[in-house]
Amino acid sequence: MSRLRIWDCGWRICTWFMAAMILFGNTPAAQAMTGREVYEKVHEVRTKALDRQTRATMTLFDRGGGTRTRTLIEYSKKGEGETYKVLVVFQTPPDLKDVGFLVHARSFADRDLWAYFPEFKRIRRIPTSSQDDSFFGTDFSYDDFGGPPNLDDYRFTILREETVDGMACQVIEVEPKVRRKWSRYVAWVAKDQWVHVKIEYYQDKQLYRQGTFSDVRIIDDIPTPFKAMMENVKTGHRTGLTIEEIRYHTRFDDDLFTQRSLERAGK
Amino acid sequence: MNLANLLRHVSLKHVRLQKAQLVMAMAGICLGVAAMVAIDLANRSVLCSFEDSINHITGRATLQITGAESGFPEAMLERVQNVAGVEYAVPVIEATASLSGGRQRALMILGIDVLQDHQIRDYSITDESADIPDPLLFLARRDSILLTRTMAAQEGIDIDQQIEMQTVAGLRTFQVRGLLNPAGPARVAGGDIAVMDIYAAQMAFGKEGRIDRIDVSLLPGENFDTMQERIRQVLPAGYSIDTPAARTRQVEVLLSRFRKSMGFISCMALFVGMYLIYNTVSITVVQRRKEIGILRALGASRAEIFRLFLTETLLIAAVASLLGAGLGYIFARATVDLVAQSVSDMYLRTSVTELAFSWRAVLGNGATGVLASLTAAILPALAGTRLTPASAIRSLPYSAESSLLGRKIKIASALSLLAAVVIFAVFESAEPASAVRSLGVIMASAIFLLLGISLCTPLLLRRIVPLCHGALAACFGAQGRLAGLNLQKNVSRNGVAVAAILCSIALFVSSANAISSVRRSMFDWIDSIIRADILVSTGHPLATGGSPTIPMPGDMQQEMEKVAGVLSVEPFRKGYLNYEGKKVLLEIFDVARRLEYCPAMITQGSREDMLRLPGRDNIVVNEGFAVKHAIKPGDTIVLPTPAGPVPFGVTAIVVSYTSDSGAIWMDVTTYRRHWQDQLVDTFEVLVQPGRDIAAAREAILARFGGERRLFALPAAEFKVEVQKMLDRSFVLTNAVNILTLIIAGLGIIITLLASVLERTREIGILRGIGMQKNQVSAVVIIESILIGAAGGALGIATGVLIGWIELEGVFRLDFGASITYHLHYGAMAWAMLLAAGLSAMAGLYPAQRAAATNIVEALTYE
Repeated sequence: MSRLRIWDCGWRICTWFMAAMILFGNTPAAQAMTGREVYEKVHEVRTKALDRQTRATMTLFDRGGGTRTRTLIEYSKKGEGETYKVLVVFQTPPDLKDVGFLVHARSFADRDLWAYFPEFKRIRRIPTSSQDDSFFGTDFSYDDFGGPPNLDDYRFTILREETVDGMACQVIEVEPKVRRKWSRYVAWVAKDQWVHVKIEYYQDKQLYRQGTFSDVRIIDDIPTPFKAMMENVKTGHRTGLTIEEIRYHTRFDDDLFTQRSLERAGK
Repeated sequence: MNLANLLRHVSLKHVRLQKAQLVMAMAGICLGVAAMVAIDLANRSVLCSFEDSINHITGRATLQITGAESGFPEAMLERVQNVAGVEYAVPVIEATASLSGGRQRALMILGIDVLQDHQIRDYSITDESADIPDPLLFLARRDSILLTRTMAAQEGIDIDQQIEMQTVAGLRTFQVRGLLNPAGPARVAGGDIAVMDIYAAQMAFGKEGRIDRIDVSLLPGENFDTMQERIRQVLPAGYSIDTPAARTRQVEVLLSRFRKSMGFISCMALFVGMYLIYNTVSITVVQRRKEIGILRALGASRAEIFRLFLTETLLIAAVASLLGAGLGYIFARATVDLVAQSVSDMYLRTSVTELAFSWRAVLGNGATGVLASLTAAILPALAGTRLTPASAIRSLPYSAESSLLGRKIKIASALSLLAAVVIFAVFESAEPASAVRSLGVIMASAIFLLLGISLCTPLLLRRIVPLCHGALAACFGAQGRLAGLNLQKNVSRNGVAVAAILCSIALFVSSANAISSVRRSMFDWIDSIIRADILVSTGHPLATGGSPTIPMPGDMQQEMEKVAGVLSVEPFRKGYLNYEGKKVLLEIFDVARRLEYCPAMITQGSREDMLRLPGRDNIVVNEGFAVKHAIKPGDTIVLPTPAGPVPFGVTAIVVSYTSDSGAIWMDVTTYRRHWQDQLVDTFEVLVQPGRDIAAAREAILARFGGERRLFALPAAEFKVEVQKMLDRSFVLTNAVNILTLIIAGLGIIITLLASVLERTREIGILRGIGMQKNQVSAVVIIESILIGAAGGALGIATGVLIGWIELEGVFRLDFGASITYHLHYGAMAWAMLLAAGLSAMAGLYPAQRAAATNIVEALTYE
């Protein structure tokens, strides 16, 4: 009897535990993740996505309702360790054809940026200090096109969980340890895909730039938002980016990412 | 006795009785202060405009690196960027251009690296400080330009509109890609500024591979001096590394002579005003001697009488100075454009958008007016205290002769004259680079001379007037004799009026003579240097402030020589370079060709020496440069070139008046070899003998007019323009001189009014014994003319001396030994006429008062 009661009691405890596991199975593990760990996942996805070719359309919306459209091709390549290279070449409109942008990252924290303007036949270096500046007049920054960041340069704090467009997200506050144009950003990271769904940049307490990332598709096992919209809250200017075509694991030759190649628009 | 009671019961009564006299004295001080305030505010506004421009364009840059005027290799930028402690180093190109349509508005072009420049200056092509719909397009196209919102609104230009501008490659179309809000550099020059990307600016203004300046910001905690030294080590010699404040100081130094000379003439206006106060207080003392006697008899001390007169003067001067400050502000508003134009004509292009009001300037000059008045009142007030009660009450005749003809005044006069001579001698004997050779020292000499002669005026009158009695009687009869006697009777008071006239006429004559000397010397020089028939440039050949000159490609020379009627074409280029911390003008032309038809004015060396310039590292320098830097033919000086310092041999010293800071002549081949600059500012065209100059000019315009906007100015017209420019630069000087003459005229009226009042009984007797009204008037007017004529004659003599001092001390320092002193006889005749005429006019009112004297009342007057 007593053994039965003891077994019964033990079984009940196990049942409750199992029920609890079923009910809250993921929660203890997810709650245990720190902001940094969430971003390590994001970082992993972004690093995996570094070998690629993307054909995209960029649309600039001004406050008055006017739009300007341009198409571009982006090539990128992951190297040893934290090294990677990115080449962006504008295809249209004709005025901007073959204008290019090249990134050589020696590490996630250390990279060189150059731009090329065919009409001047000159390669121009973009100072690292400009990484938060507008990417050629769009509402994206050079940093947005620059590859994964160095996680050690930031502090991450999980704020809450929220659902955005039906996707469960971790809301994380990211503060840079060194001075940047923004003092912090808040990112909504899709929990199962580890990509940004929404992002808000603040200068002190004031929101100045915000973006959304949607139409997330899994391409070659890599979650990829096909649509992005970034808005400068101060100017009311918006920039939309739509991926028309993307290929991963492209393993381009290093020659594609030289200054000479930049001058030849990647040809 | 209580001072307030004295003022209320004694001074106020006097004010009521002598309103006209008081108003005129106040007007004198008021005009003097107004002249000082106006000139100070106008000068300040011009400087503030420069300072504002420099600050707005400089942004957060703490150091600025400049090299040769034509720019320096952009490779220097990377060297500077790599210096430890440099936060940001950004390139800048500054050029001037003009819109081809409408009013051909001139504007400054700021070429910047738009990808980096926001690190230094307060705007970005992507933030809210500008409205640029497509920044990438702005960066990608060489025809991109940003205008200021202000200019676009004034010219009716919209975003995406095309504008045409003059460039090195001729007229080119630019696309307005955006508008800058009025902040940072967009506030410069009242918004007459356009921003281009540096590479687009290089192409448009012929500066491929070169930049004009590097603006540098330093990391926090870095020391200026250390950083200057570090940067200096990575650059070739000849580069200037200054703070923006030093650039402002350079402008201040450049304009200092102009500002000081303007300040000098405004001080002179006040100096003449001081005579007026001196005169007024002297007359007041004479008129109120009975009152002073009674006060003294009632127990007023000498100190109280002294305080009473000084307090009266203080109150009058305070009110007059306050009014003068207000009037000065109005004058400043009216003249600031003129001052800016003069500065633009002679020094640097400037546009003053607003008057830089300064309480300090207004109150400071007002206080100077009050202090000057008090100083002027001290002597006559002291004279008042010396009156004994008994003689004053009995109305015994009082004369200021004891004070004005006394020994002390003679000594003061002699000492002043001696001081003038000694100061001038010290100035002349000092080394050219010595601090003694300054404008202040030469001004001190001129002021002492003026003071010395002014102080001895009563003495001179006392000696000269008796000699003229016969002539006066012969010319004007009894009225002339009476006028002469009146003048002699009150020689001290009349001496003050004569001195006031003397000062103003002396200023007028000295200016006229100095200007005439400069003008004639300049014309002789221009005649020697401009022997071409037509001058061709893209801006007005003389303009620094008007339409700017955009250089033209050197190969236009060959094209122009093919134009019908053209005999030969010679290129001329000018620029500035830093020599021992000063900006020196570099003039480049084809020396061999120039000498074929130009009789260059060579002061040391020969034409053969000049011919040693082409193809070699030789130069000639002008006299001003040679004097300042103690250079003689055969010396070698090191000049900064874009590729580093190069030693150049000086073969000759020549006459050139093109720059205050010195000029260097270099052969075009030498310049092109070292500077790698093929551009030309002006083509000097010789027309074939017998061919029509106008037809050749038209042919040139027809050939090149479609490519670029050209000025093809016949040399004769050019010379007329030079004359106009010179005249314009002296307009303000003349205006203040006229103001000074008006103040002096007021002095005459006061003197004569007092004289008429004092002689009321005498006039009554004259009328009683049968003198007609018109005869009485004639006596007063003749007396007035005599005062004016005496002042005029002495003023002309003094003016001749001061003009010579100005020329020796000021102009010779800049222009060298070649400048000769020319007397402007016309101006001197005008000065005499003006002095006599103005005095005659000033005598009209007192003459009317004298004529209107009631005989009975006058006979009982005492």
